[in-house]
Amino acid sequence: MEINWIGLWTMVRREIQRLARVPIQAVVAPLISALLFIFIFGFVVGGRIKNFGHFSYLEFVLPGVVMMNVVSASFLQATSQIYFQRFQKSIEEILVSPLSYVEMIGGTVSIVILRSVFTALGILVIGTIFGAVHLQSLPEFLFWVVFVSMIFGFLGIIVALWAKTFEQLNVLMVFFIQPLSMVGGVFNTIGMLPPWLRWLAYGNPLFYFINGLRHSMIGFTEGPATFGAAFTVVLAAVLGAIVWRLYAIGWGLRE
Amino acid sequence: MTPALEISHLRKVYRSGTVAVEDVSLTIQPGDFFGFLGPNGAGKSTTIHCITGISNPTSGTIRIFGVDAVADYRQARKLVGLSPQEFNVDPFANARNIVDWMGGYFGMRSAERKKRVDMLIERFELVPHAGKPFRELSGGLKRRVILARAMVNDPKLLILDEPTAGVDVELRMDLWRYLQELNRDGTTILLTSHYLEEIERLCKTIAIVAKGRIVRNGPKEEFFTEPGGLEKAYLAATGKAADHVAVGA
Repeated sequence: MEINWIGLWTMVRREIQRLARVPIQAVVAPLISALLFIFIFGFVVGGRIKNFGHFSYLEFVLPGVVMMNVVSASFLQATSQIYFQRFQKSIEEILVSPLSYVEMIGGTVSIVILRSVFTALGILVIGTIFGAVHLQSLPEFLFWVVFVSMIFGFLGIIVALWAKTFEQLNVLMVFFIQPLSMVGGVFNTIGMLPPWLRWLAYGNPLFYFINGLRHSMIGFTEGPATFGAAFTVVLAAVLGAIVWRLYAIGWGLRE
Repeated sequence: MTPALEISHLRKVYRSGTVAVEDVSLTIQPGDFFGFLGPNGAGKSTTIHCITGISNPTSGTIRIFGVDAVADYRQARKLVGLSPQEFNVDPFANARNIVDWMGGYFGMRSAERKKRVDMLIERFELVPHAGKPFRELSGGLKRRVILARAMVNDPKLLILDEPTAGVDVELRMDLWRYLQELNRDGTTILLTSHYLEEIERLCKTIAIVAKGRIVRNGPKEEFFTEPGGLEKAYLAATGKAADHVAVGA
């Protein structure tokens, strides 16, 4: 099947132009949030934690901070893009165009990935200022950023198609994603949890994402890395297939 | 000859259970200027939404120049340009971008797109307004942007859903001239309007839809040979003639 590359690029170009109208929300806010996390948890609190294996506490925390921001940026990008287009009805511009469903989804997810990679690299730059950046494997780092942003991009699309109000856009983020991020090993090792709580970490998808990214940066892992990567790819594929199906039947898109 | 548009037993029922289109069948020949008339809520816009992919038909078939609009939707979309009744754009985007993006979605290359966008911006007298956000434009200028966007891909079938609603006389006359030029050059046009004068002046074929069904369909001349002309035929076909007489009395 012939791919409409110009159409795909137009979707990306258009969204970049939209984001350029809200630079504080799109670019500055996640970087300031990361800066504060790094400063307080890594520098101020972490400065008093001396015994953390071969790494400083800041080096341990930084991958978690990157992952939290990647998750947040990708989810918010997808929900705001799709929901606002639905709200303004400008989504109809896409629906009447000769774009396949895969291209429509691909255009949305491409900008999600771009924004997440940009956010992740921005945080690395801030981390470098604090002397806390180690990058053991750049391809592995990019694998985690790209696949996790795809997962939360797909979830964001599903929520944006389902939502009838702005309030509903936040439900998944507030009640699931943020709590799971916090207990997914951003600030502590799983070994620091009481044994009866560890099952919660191993059953938490966010743990595998954070653990994987941490491995790509400082080489430290607390879980089965291959299982984590395979789980992430399968989850992205399953969510991608669900989104494709929703586009094909027009759920939340076409009347 | 393959019809420009062939709709067969189209039915559209919304999730709420509302039957918007009961059973619409019509054929538009290439080169036709087709007037689609009907009262509010008759099913005109829903039919157009089904043709263009904004709505899913519940049943029936739609073929655009022989291409199935559901099964082969990508090919079908390439042939159509739509100017919808509502302004379905990003209100913060400027006029030039709105037209340019649509050209991009249709896969037009940069140079070709720029040439076409420039021509349309000029044709619709949008040059001084091209860089302004859509929300800051007047109603008439907004309508021009929507029309330019509909024509950016040089469609073989141009669908205009009440394109002159709320625009001044000057633009209306200018648009009429332009649509007649396009039609002379071979573009098939489907036009909905509440202005009978507009339909009379422009269209070659007229269909009247009421309660989700085509109640009258034929060449324009058929309507004008009848006493009372199009207005009387319209009122009779939509079942409003009795009310009209009662009000008149």
